[in-house]
Amino acid sequence: MSEGVTPSPEGAHSGFPSTTDNLLGGLVVTVIGVALLGYGLYTANTTIPRIMAAVIILVGIAVLARFVPVHAPRDFYGGAALVMLATLTLIAAAELPGQRGFAFGPGTAPRLFSFVLAALGAAIAVSGVFTEGPPIEKYKIRGPALVVISILAFAAMIRPLGLVPATFLAFMISILGSTEMRWIESLIAAVAMTVFCVLLFVYLLNLPFQLWPRYY
Amino acid sequence: MSDLLANLWMGFHVAANPYNILFCLLGALVGTLVGVLPGIGTVATIAMLLPITFGLPPVGALIMLAGIYYGAQYGGSTTSVLVNIPGEATSVVTCLDGHQMARQGRAGPALAIAAMGSFFAGCVATVLVAALGAPLTGIALLFGPAEYFSLMCLGLIFAVVLAKGSVLKAVAMVVTGLLLSMVGSDLETGAGRMTFDIAELADGIGFANVAMGVFGYAEIIRNLELPAESRDIVSAKITGLMPTRKDLVDSAGAIARGTILGSILGILPGGGAVVASFAAYTFEKKVAKDPSRFGRGAIEGVAAPESANNAAAQTSFIPLLTLGIPPNAVMALMVGAMTIHGIVPGPQVMTKQPELFWGMIASMWLGNLMLVIINLPLVGVWVTLLRVPYRLLYPSIIVFCCIGIYSINNSPTDVVISAIFGIIGFWLVKHDFEPAPMLLGFVLGPLMEENLRRAMLIARGDVTVFFTRPISAALLSTAILLLVIAAMPKIRRRRDEVFVE
Repeated sequence: MSEGVTPSPEGAHSGFPSTTDNLLGGLVVTVIGVALLGYGLYTANTTIPRIMAAVIILVGIAVLARFVPVHAPRDFYGGAALVMLATLTLIAAAELPGQRGFAFGPGTAPRLFSFVLAALGAAIAVSGVFTEGPPIEKYKIRGPALVVISILAFAAMIRPLGLVPATFLAFMISILGSTEMRWIESLIAAVAMTVFCVLLFVYLLNLPFQLWPRYY
Repeated sequence: MSDLLANLWMGFHVAANPYNILFCLLGALVGTLVGVLPGIGTVATIAMLLPITFGLPPVGALIMLAGIYYGAQYGGSTTSVLVNIPGEATSVVTCLDGHQMARQGRAGPALAIAAMGSFFAGCVATVLVAALGAPLTGIALLFGPAEYFSLMCLGLIFAVVLAKGSVLKAVAMVVTGLLLSMVGSDLETGAGRMTFDIAELADGIGFANVAMGVFGYAEIIRNLELPAESRDIVSAKITGLMPTRKDLVDSAGAIARGTILGSILGILPGGGAVVASFAAYTFEKKVAKDPSRFGRGAIEGVAAPESANNAAAQTSFIPLLTLGIPPNAVMALMVGAMTIHGIVPGPQVMTKQPELFWGMIASMWLGNLMLVIINLPLVGVWVTLLRVPYRLLYPSIIVFCCIGIYSINNSPTDVVISAIFGIIGFWLVKHDFEPAPMLLGFVLGPLMEENLRRAMLIARGDVTVFFTRPISAALLSTAILLLVIAAMPKIRRRRDEVFVE
């Protein structure tokens, strides 16, 4: 089960979050808003999402200028991101035909749910301005980055290099993400895991994997 | 009644097939393993193992996946008692009294009672699933598109209200899931929707990619951030597995109460097994003559939640098998598994594929029996497994997931998409969003849209149809009522308390 962080109003930290956080947050919101507006202007039939993008830019600038105090940054930026997502889907679905007579078109439901999401996101963001909440946890870069890199590396290697090198290398990259990594132990584990996966997927489950690099 | 017996007999016939027994055993073993290891949740494991079941026949695949689910409920209790680390969220409360019992040298009886309680609950729940299956399916056949749409709304709202955290955020997550499910070709016209002209998105976002990313990768990334936990194992000698006569008398009532509570809460969508174990513990404490014993090794504090979570784990199959609506994230994964095998979950499963329906039910009982038999002798093995450090465990999980996803379509793009969802899942946790409602929305999305479209077409565009048809109106008003109740400040505070405890 995912260990969700239980929001605890009592544990909320008092006063405003540090200013640098909101400078960064406001900047990110503004930049994404500009990108969305650009995409909207580039796509036809997008009056409403264009307005939404403009509002996002304004809110971003307002946060930057410390005009809007963000008391619960988790809620505020979370809600803002949902509004951004809704704007994006509205633009992406803009060219789909909508309702014809009684029948829904392919674009009706995406637009309908985009509006609902935008409203919910806005409500969450607004609650982040008016209620106190804990600050956003610091992101640790090393572990998450190496995990993601190892997954992407696997995706890049599996076709040209085959299962054995891809599995071994992805294992070694991801294990670097741990701070307690030991070389010899890791190499042994990587070899063991590679052997296990080859046995399970290729010999037991008979999946059509290529094991080694292809020679042309 | 004779029908029921005949059906169950047929089910046992299917389940007793040597291959199916093997799958059941395999599922139960893997499930126990997962339950024992903290840091890999049930949802993540089922997502991981989905690709492996593709090659199996549908009945075998579903029997195995179900085995993983209730096996995890068993395994979680083992670590709770022995090392005070709940392997699963469902056995968090078992730690309180179970570990105290272990410290008093009564780990054996605690484990035995947990297993017996779970087995009893499993038996009752199996009968319940079998008995409720037919009548509920009958009701489901009365449903038109409007009713189905309303029922799905109610199911989603239930899931939101019973989950922890903000209701508003959970609803937003459901809608996000619905939107994500609409990426890809339109069901009726085939028009590409929100694909950004990426060819790989034309078929939509794969269900396994989302589940694996949001639950598998995100959980690992999250665990890597936490400081390395000290997993010192209290190597208490397990002497004497058998509980005394007094233990049995004390826990009999608790097991019965836990089973009843768990069965009811399992049918309701939402927290299912997790809520059930908490509720059962709280209830036992309330009815006990001497509540102060709880937290100091009261055997009822082990018996009740363990029976409740197992009962709930099984009864949560009822809405899935009869109405085709997954009540929680694990059942959402089962929908994914069924769809991959070409089975549309819902009332027609029972009539069109009785072997599958009854075979699965019978295998639940067999699986529970196997768990009692394998769980107690294997306690030592499970404890040894806990000594595998996380730094070696997580790269193995990542590699395993990568290969699994790749094997579904032989598509590297799928692996990349799952990585993206891993980052999204990580971000969601940082912002206090629960990923489970999103997965539910994602699974129910296509069904909801289809029924909404049909209902509107049949009603000639009249939106009031959802309120003029009686069943639909009743379902929707219940949903709205639930939302209102959950939003009321007084209830909200109580709800927070329940989840904090």
